[in-house]
Amino acid sequence: MKSARLWFKKDGLAVYISHLDMNRCMTRAVRRAGIPLWYTEGFNPHPYMTFLLPLPLGQEGRREPLDIRIETDMSFEEIKSRLNAVMPCGIEITDVREPIMKANEIAAAKYEITAVFENEGEAQGFACGAASVIEGGVLNAEKRSKKGIKKVNLCEMIRSFDACAEEKSVKINTVLAAGNTVNLNAELLLSALFAEFAAQPVKTEIVRTGLLTQALEAFE
Amino acid sequence: MYPKELESFLLKVQKPGRYTGGELNSIVKDKSAVDIRYAFCFPDTYEIGMSHLGMKILYSLVNARKDAWCERVFAPWVDMEQIMRENSIPLYALESGDPIRDFDIIGFTMQYELSYTNVLNMLDLAGLPVRSKDRESLTPIVIAGGACVCNAEPMAEFFDITLPGDGEEVTNELIDLLKEFKAKGAGKREFLEAAARIKGVYVPSLYEVEYNEDNTVKSVTPTCGAPEKVEKRNVADLDSMFAPSEFVVPFLEVVHDRTTVEIFRGCIRGCRFCQAGFINRPLRRKSPETVEAQCRAICDSTGYDEISLCSLSTSDYKGLEKLITNMLPWTLEEKINISLPSLRADNFPKELMEKLNAVRRSGLTFAPEAGTQRLRDVINKNITEQEVLSTAAQAFAGGWTAVKLYFMIGLPTETEEDIRGIADLAQAVVDEFYKNPDKPKGKGVNVSVSVASLVPKPFTPFQWEPQDKPDTLIEKQNYLVSCVKTRKVSVSRHVPWTSFLEGVFARGDRRLADVIETAWRKGCRLDGWAEHLKPELWEESFAEVGIDPYFYTARRRSFDEVLPWDHMDYGVTKRFLINENKKAHAGETTACCREKCAGCGANRLNGGVCDEIGKTVV
Repeated sequence: MKSARLWFKKDGLAVYISHLDMNRCMTRAVRRAGIPLWYTEGFNPHPYMTFLLPLPLGQEGRREPLDIRIETDMSFEEIKSRLNAVMPCGIEITDVREPIMKANEIAAAKYEITAVFENEGEAQGFACGAASVIEGGVLNAEKRSKKGIKKVNLCEMIRSFDACAEEKSVKINTVLAAGNTVNLNAELLLSALFAEFAAQPVKTEIVRTGLLTQALEAFE
Repeated sequence: MYPKELESFLLKVQKPGRYTGGELNSIVKDKSAVDIRYAFCFPDTYEIGMSHLGMKILYSLVNARKDAWCERVFAPWVDMEQIMRENSIPLYALESGDPIRDFDIIGFTMQYELSYTNVLNMLDLAGLPVRSKDRESLTPIVIAGGACVCNAEPMAEFFDITLPGDGEEVTNELIDLLKEFKAKGAGKREFLEAAARIKGVYVPSLYEVEYNEDNTVKSVTPTCGAPEKVEKRNVADLDSMFAPSEFVVPFLEVVHDRTTVEIFRGCIRGCRFCQAGFINRPLRRKSPETVEAQCRAICDSTGYDEISLCSLSTSDYKGLEKLITNMLPWTLEEKINISLPSLRADNFPKELMEKLNAVRRSGLTFAPEAGTQRLRDVINKNITEQEVLSTAAQAFAGGWTAVKLYFMIGLPTETEEDIRGIADLAQAVVDEFYKNPDKPKGKGVNVSVSVASLVPKPFTPFQWEPQDKPDTLIEKQNYLVSCVKTRKVSVSRHVPWTSFLEGVFARGDRRLADVIETAWRKGCRLDGWAEHLKPELWEESFAEVGIDPYFYTARRRSFDEVLPWDHMDYGVTKRFLINENKKAHAGETTACCREKCAGCGANRLNGGVCDEIGKTVV
């Protein structure tokens, strides 16, 4: 048995694939590629495949990790090329490596967000306003979890935030808490900010560019 | 690929994956390089339509042609419909995102009557008039196939053409003809008259219907050289018939998401309520070698880990054991599960069941259909209580703890005793569980009973029978529930009003077009979804148009009445159906075709051949 960490890109039409659907999609891709996936040995055998941090519906991912286990010794290069030959459009394996860190070392994620507004003024206003609210340290929102809805201060989960307006759009570069214990969905932050300023962007785009450790080093 | 103007709305609807396209194996062609663009429409949601085998077959078949491009279209859910209407986004095809009103053929597959309003809604969303006569240009031609078109009359005003029977050959012939007529700049009428000459093509507008004073049909008269009787299309050889080697693999979870390969068409059983069992005759069998090769190809191209060997009664397939034994080595190796829907309790070997469970265990379902032997004889469901119980005992011995039982109420000659019999049979299955000495400790048994209501259908021996009214069905359902004395048996029931509406359309005539259009304009659609079915709007529509729906359902028809679908020929003779109806009322069974040919007459469509009995004199 051999472990492999696949790094993939998810964009275009594939952003509309939900996390649950992604699971099925990847299992089938691995089967089509003829990669000898290792199956669990329980009563109901299933392939060993773990997405380290689910990517929410509608968001683009540049470097997303997926762990698999295979039965035989197939080279990482071979796994990559076989998979890319059978992948649906919008998903591409960019790299296959040995897993270095453990999944629970993921503590943050880096995002590039674009919000397009009706006019330059609105964009300017939103960029300045958003930055100062976050600087101020209080942005309350209702966060849904398994235990129900609770009110949280999103700023406690923001590691860094930078917004600047360019013509009609606002570009946001931000690092948010991510992982199993504390996780902030960029979508929630955005909608809280839009609500705060009653802003109505014509279009938004969220790209998760990478995962980071507690020390804000790249997760590998 | 969805149209650009939809982008900002995709994340505002449930399951955007229904509307984006781009799935693996979906086919994108250069539109300037094809002559015919075909929009294959399934008049229900993506998840239902993507589970349908017929669509997969015809999609691949049309796309195998260089000169045509077939794309998929589904009914949008209410949230998306609202967005499309508010923003004037016309119904588009998933592969190109192009509006389907610009296509050459718009083809619907009609699997159940409650999708009729969805057809009107989809044509309207496309920006097209819903009635055939109001669409004047040659293209798009609106066609329909599938089980419901054995009585296309209620939809006759909306479709230009229907295709009764197997679609594999006639689809190509129709495309060829349309290509020719389009090239020479012909008109729609001219094309329809020519199309009516192809075997298995029905052009409703070429038939004139007259009615008697009592509202029954007086006569149906063909015009412009259309045939007196429209014979359904029949594909003779399933081994050489086109079959897809790829399925479009959805991202979303759909109802049936697996490799599905047909093993035979038709059925040897002759259950008297079952339309599929009669309209798909004669029996035509695919060889085990072909089945296996097709399964392999689809698994390889999709990555599916489940195969469904499908037919109307899978355990009746000659050579099933051999087929499964041949397939097991590679399916086990690749961890592929083989599932066999529609098994019968009386003829499925235990050893085979054990072999199949080596990969994954699926549910266990029986369909005794009626609660007493007397009534099972009436409907010709030739299965005994003993067979059900011994198969259940076998299954319990093998570790199963849950069994599903399917029944029907509203059957001809039914009494209280028959309904009580359903509860008794379920109880007997529960008792069987506790008789098993090795039953798993600490686990109870769960018998779920599902009760549907009989909808008498065209081309079955029950086509003359009255259908129970919704109130009667509710009383019967309540009585059944009162007969169940244990919590180990759970009863789930169908909505009687759904069966009622289905019954109206199943045996309806052309005059229902006004009702369907009125109801749709009032907001009826997705009638097959309990949460969207609006009985009050339908009742209003019947009243406004002045049609009594019970005329179609509650009345016993006489054998000499002209039925609205009598000008369709599905092979099985009327004489045979009348005889079967009489035998039902006498409580007599008819042996299955394997034991003795019942002389249904369907082999006439197949050059005298029925794969069950070999060649006989026509």
